[in-house]
Amino acid sequence: MRSLIVLVALSVVCLGAPAGAQEGHPLKGSWLGTWGPSKLHSNDILIVMNWDGKTISGMINPGTDNIPIKNATLNPEGWLVHIEAETKDKQGPLTYIIDGKIEGLAFHNRSIVGTWKARNESGPFKISRQ
Amino acid sequence: MRHLLACTAAVLLVASTTGTAHHAISAKFDDKRPATLSGIVTLVDWRNPHVHVFMNVKGDKGEVENWAVEVESPIDLESNGWSPTTLQPGDAITVRGIRARNDSRQVWGQSITLSGTGRQVLTFTPKIPPEPLAKRPTPRWPDKQPRLGPIPGGVQGYWAFPSSTVLQEDGANVKMDQWGLLANINDAAKVAPMQPWALALYRHRQSRFLQDDPTYLNCKPPGGPRQFQIPYGVQFVEDRERQRIFVLIGGGNSNYRIIYLDGRGHTGQVGGDDDNPLYYGRSVGKWVGDVLEVDTRGFNEDFWFTNGGLVHTDQLKLIEKFSRPDFDTLKYEVTVDDPGAYTRPWSASWTLRWVAGGELPRHLCQENRP
Repeated sequence: MRSLIVLVALSVVCLGAPAGAQEGHPLKGSWLGTWGPSKLHSNDILIVMNWDGKTISGMINPGTDNIPIKNATLNPEGWLVHIEAETKDKQGPLTYIIDGKIEGLAFHNRSIVGTWKARNESGPFKISRQ
Repeated sequence: MRHLLACTAAVLLVASTTGTAHHAISAKFDDKRPATLSGIVTLVDWRNPHVHVFMNVKGDKGEVENWAVEVESPIDLESNGWSPTTLQPGDAITVRGIRARNDSRQVWGQSITLSGTGRQVLTFTPKIPPEPLAKRPTPRWPDKQPRLGPIPGGVQGYWAFPSSTVLQEDGANVKMDQWGLLANINDAAKVAPMQPWALALYRHRQSRFLQDDPTYLNCKPPGGPRQFQIPYGVQFVEDRERQRIFVLIGGGNSNYRIIYLDGRGHTGQVGGDDDNPLYYGRSVGKWVGDVLEVDTRGFNEDFWFTNGGLVHTDQLKLIEKFSRPDFDTLKYEVTVDDPGAYTRPWSASWTLRWVAGGELPRHLCQENRP
């Protein structure tokens, strides 16, 4: 029996762990992508989201500081995502609002595609789960 | 390179003696699209998870098309007396089956007939052990505690043939096939008390015929209660001296979990578990009378914890109860407590049969051969 256990353990070590996946809450994880005034002129954005069973929390990072997510929702009817994050800049309070839809739900590198807006700016938005 | 060669050799050694688990046939093939093919065998690929027979078939215009015929697993076929040489390249065969959903030249072979003799080959009948004529008493250690595994020096065996291969709340009685595919997707909400997002994701997986199951697509271990509902069973190895039980998994990916009985908590188990972290969680247990109660938590979210694609999160906690009411029966009861995906804790239970005298079939998954 000991040889069986050693053999099984060895086989597991040899095979290693397959590439990461995420089969739990579809928004949980790190997301990387771009947003901007147009597809040709866009900036990188990182979003990290978590799920505690009741609330989606996390932060967005458009390349400056982490901005906590103030409110985020997932509507499973159509897998619609709404994210609000609030910060301040020289002009005062600044609220980012992102609306999108999950694409490729079944895959670990699923995407959220939609639009963002803040003050008078807006544009396309696309992030993919890392 | 030496490490790679050693690993490859070890994997091949294990693989040469292993069986496998099945994906849902309906994930890939459409039972409403029958097909009949006649042609010549070009190759027999005798590997996990399913054997493939390749054959040349003449098309409508006389052109030669190469088709793949998928049949049962090597371990199931071998248990029915078939071997990799049952069919040989050059054999003329007729195949009846069902076509792939994606319109590729693949069929699930429901029957294969040798054209020359009319003999059917690669047939499969499950070999369920017969009901014992009389109930035998629960085997016990000298201190009267029930034994869950084989008796050293005695008759070997393992646990298989679960009375249910699908997880649903006790009393739900929702109709599904053996892989957990719902007969009516509108019954999804009855299976377990899911949160709206979890229900929607479960329905999504069902609507795709479970084709995204990472256990078969990416060789993810069947953690959680699923380990007791997959083909080919489980084996308990009770290490009383070190106060732990190894649960060896016959299907899935031939890995194992450890249940610690030495009073430790759920932390500090890295040294014992670090070759299969968190797919099986961290398990601590204790005997309460004749029942082994196990508290497991610390699961990752990289796998499906049930056949059929019920959702879980990393908040999943399981309370499992194992008992052996007689020699040939293992009773498994589980309470699923996952506030990340469900609205309340819920329970399910089933039994497994003792397969006397058998060695636990073992499986090494082969990725991208769903």
